[in-house]
Amino acid sequence: MSFFSLIIKNPFRNKTRSALAIVGIAIGIATIVALGIITDGLKASTEETLKAGGADFSIAESNVSDLFFSKIDEEYIARIKEVDGVNDVVGILMAIQRVEDNPYFVLIGIDPAKLSISNIKVTEGRAFAAGDAKEVIIGKVASEKLNKTVGDTITLNREEYKITGIFQTGDLQQDGGAFLSLENVQAIENKNDTVTMLYVKIDNDAQVEEVTAKIEEEYGNDLTTIASLEDLASIDQGLQTIDTASWAISLLAIVIGGIGVINTMIMSVYERTREIGVLKAVGWKDRRILSMILGESIVLTLVAGLVGAIMGIMGIQVLLALGMDSFIAPVYSADVFIRAFAVALSVGLLGGFYPAYRASRLPPTEALRYE
Amino acid sequence: MNKENIVEIHHLQKSFDHGKITALNGIDLEIKKGEFVSIIGPSGSGKSTLLNMIGALDKADTGSIVVSGNDLIHKKDLSEFRSRKIGFIFQLHNLIPNLSVLENVEIPMYEKKMSSSQMRKRALELLEYVGLSDKLKRKPTELSGGERQRVAIARALANEPSIILADEPTGSLDSKTGAMILNRLKDLHEKENVTLIMVTHDMDVASLADRTIRVLDGKIQN
Repeated sequence: MSFFSLIIKNPFRNKTRSALAIVGIAIGIATIVALGIITDGLKASTEETLKAGGADFSIAESNVSDLFFSKIDEEYIARIKEVDGVNDVVGILMAIQRVEDNPYFVLIGIDPAKLSISNIKVTEGRAFAAGDAKEVIIGKVASEKLNKTVGDTITLNREEYKITGIFQTGDLQQDGGAFLSLENVQAIENKNDTVTMLYVKIDNDAQVEEVTAKIEEEYGNDLTTIASLEDLASIDQGLQTIDTASWAISLLAIVIGGIGVINTMIMSVYERTREIGVLKAVGWKDRRILSMILGESIVLTLVAGLVGAIMGIMGIQVLLALGMDSFIAPVYSADVFIRAFAVALSVGLLGGFYPAYRASRLPPTEALRYE
Repeated sequence: MNKENIVEIHHLQKSFDHGKITALNGIDLEIKKGEFVSIIGPSGSGKSTLLNMIGALDKADTGSIVVSGNDLIHKKDLSEFRSRKIGFIFQLHNLIPNLSVLENVEIPMYEKKMSSSQMRKRALELLEYVGLSDKLKRKPTELSGGERQRVAIARALANEPSIILADEPTGSLDSKTGAMILNRLKDLHEKENVTLIMVTHDMDVASLADRTIRVLDGKIQN
């Protein structure tokens, strides 16, 4: 039997204790995985919203904690248009309304003539009319969820809207919602002359960096430009908060998991004191005893990492089944799982080191005398 | 040092508990290569401490102890010495409960750069020698006391030691099984010319040896 097989075999001698330690660590790992999948989904979806089709960059109100709270006076549309290098500007107003049993139905108000600047493709029917005509186009996902199609009506803010078309963007949050005229969303939200964001398209010979720099210089007090997800992260505290929370939970999982592992491994070493004495008597070096115990600890936490990753994915499936599927588009990136296993490995190393060190330093005669 | 001597001990002293308990109080002892020596004495006399000193499980305070050419007072890497020169047999077999008989015998070989198949081959030979070829996959709990002690003998022989140190090897066995284990050890001593040092408090057991050393209050009695 190889030394490696011995290390893999040992942690499962006391099955109950090992299982409990594994579950404890796995819960932490599951939280990291689930949060990571959601955060990545939110980031991807936010990026979709920003990179709306033909637009080169977006503009939001400066110093807002979340993009959603951004408020820009509509008159900026005309002012931004005047900036050198700007080809076209469109203002959008975002709102969230309850529609049937979905409390997070996203409404986006936009000038229908400027739909092309967003990446919306109307796949069935036609676009909605401008002005206050009660017309709306809904996303493919929303159409499936609500079981409505072109010609049906939908109730928004106690008013009936006629569905004139179905669109698809590939972004779950948008495809789960609806587009309608800017005026209608302003009326629903009581936000006259206000938009959430501006989408800007620049001239073919202009550079994004130059145009954004000009806008920042001129209107920097009120507005901020977002050309990348990094730009967004610096203004969107929502994403920042989730990121921070995710790291804090990872740290907590390391600490709690580490204490659990220390406890489990100390108990295991304590029970095997005599055995460690025998290993020393037959000539095992301190280093080999240290690697064995440390290895056992890592085996334990890597199994916990695997169990935790599965639990995390299952948790996400439960959330989706509970109706979050119109709001969260999970992104299963390798990063999340690498991070989860890195955490598991750190827990194994940190938690296993002290018990392993103690075992390796046991005086052989005392260990052999131990009852 | 006399070339024939495998163990040479002079004025060896060892105390525990910061000098409160004197375990060895000036031991002088020479053991020849291939000799079978039994060490007897009442409990607390220091006989096990003496055996642990020879096996480099513990370090003496003063004096000198040279075993198989190794100065154990000044040697740094005692685990290597134990691995190459010494085979231990304890009163309680001290087998690892979750490992099979075969795997238990392989345990000492990890420190020798042996492949898994070499380890297996050697362990199979040793288990055949102690007559346990039919119980390779058994766990220690599925064996009788005598069988466990035979596994322990096979394990002690794993690294071809020049000295076997046995601490009350029959202490927890019935007399019939004990006699069988002693025969096995005596056979090993006679056929393989292994130096055998055995601690016991049983005079009958001690009388099997070439020479009996009495230890009392940390000193050898003449």
